[in-house]
Amino acid sequence: MITTILAMACVTFATRYLFLAKQLPFTIGPKLQRFLSFSAPCVLTAIWVPIVFIQDKQLAITPSNPYLVAATVAVILAFRFKNLYVTTFGSLAVFYLLY
Amino acid sequence: MKVAVCKGFWDMLPLNLAVLPWGILCGSLAVQNGFTPLEAQLMSLLVFAGSAQLVAIELIAKDTTLITLLATTFIISARHLLYGLAIRNKMIDKPLKWRGPIAFFLTDELFAFSHHHRAYQGKLRLVYALIAGGSFYVAWNLWTLIGIVAGQFLPDLTNLGLDFAIAAIFIALVVPSINALPVLCACLTSAVTILVFKLIHFEFGLIASALLGMSVGYVLQSKKERV
Repeated sequence: MITTILAMACVTFATRYLFLAKQLPFTIGPKLQRFLSFSAPCVLTAIWVPIVFIQDKQLAITPSNPYLVAATVAVILAFRFKNLYVTTFGSLAVFYLLY
Repeated sequence: MKVAVCKGFWDMLPLNLAVLPWGILCGSLAVQNGFTPLEAQLMSLLVFAGSAQLVAIELIAKDTTLITLLATTFIISARHLLYGLAIRNKMIDKPLKWRGPIAFFLTDELFAFSHHHRAYQGKLRLVYALIAGGSFYVAWNLWTLIGIVAGQFLPDLTNLGLDFAIAAIFIALVVPSINALPVLCACLTSAVTILVFKLIHFEFGLIASALLGMSVGYVLQSKKERV
């Protein structure tokens, strides 16, 4: 079992470390860097959108979906205040009022 | 220095708390499926990848072959290749004593705080990243430990809606970074495509929808700068 865990650890660490290794000799030009500058917003969107829009493995775009209503509030709060705690706790309060 | 430590801690704190149900689940599920407490803890200490851990525990319990297990782990972890690539230019000139730990802590959660154009520049920002990533590591292992020790006495906490907290935090991080049309279109593309991929159960959906969104952003940004 320990060997299995170590092998898994190698896989997860390798995916994180590979492109941070100096042994990998390549440089990222301005074009690739421009492409990569969109990675964080896109990946984070791809993580939060399914949590909000998919309930019980189905698309749930209805006002009765508390995730959707509270996420809408979160988007507005984030746009207006640009503050991690205001957005998180403000929308979380709305969420639990409906949940 | 103290400011960097505090900011790293406070920025990551909501996420540290939000993942509590899944950390506990990782610990309790492992023990229920025949892991010894030490092995269950080592999963979080060494593998340190929530979704990969949960899937792996079920695969190991089903006596899946090692190669299938590792291939599945790779598929789930493949998105981290993109994270490493995205911060390569910022990190590559740093000594191994910084690159090693930051790579080890490079989860979705730490990457979420890596978008600032000056992230990882200078010692204070490195300390910030190390504290943010490290505090997530400590929290994840603490929740796992609670799951190992007390999982059998605790109800399932993953249906308490704390997944909304994770979504809210990511919204709080993404929305302020949408300051121009290209990044807005990039995010909308990723949003629509991830829903399609999820509904058709496409395993590389996350990374594919990210790459599609990034492509749209890249094309629009390039057009914008030419005119």
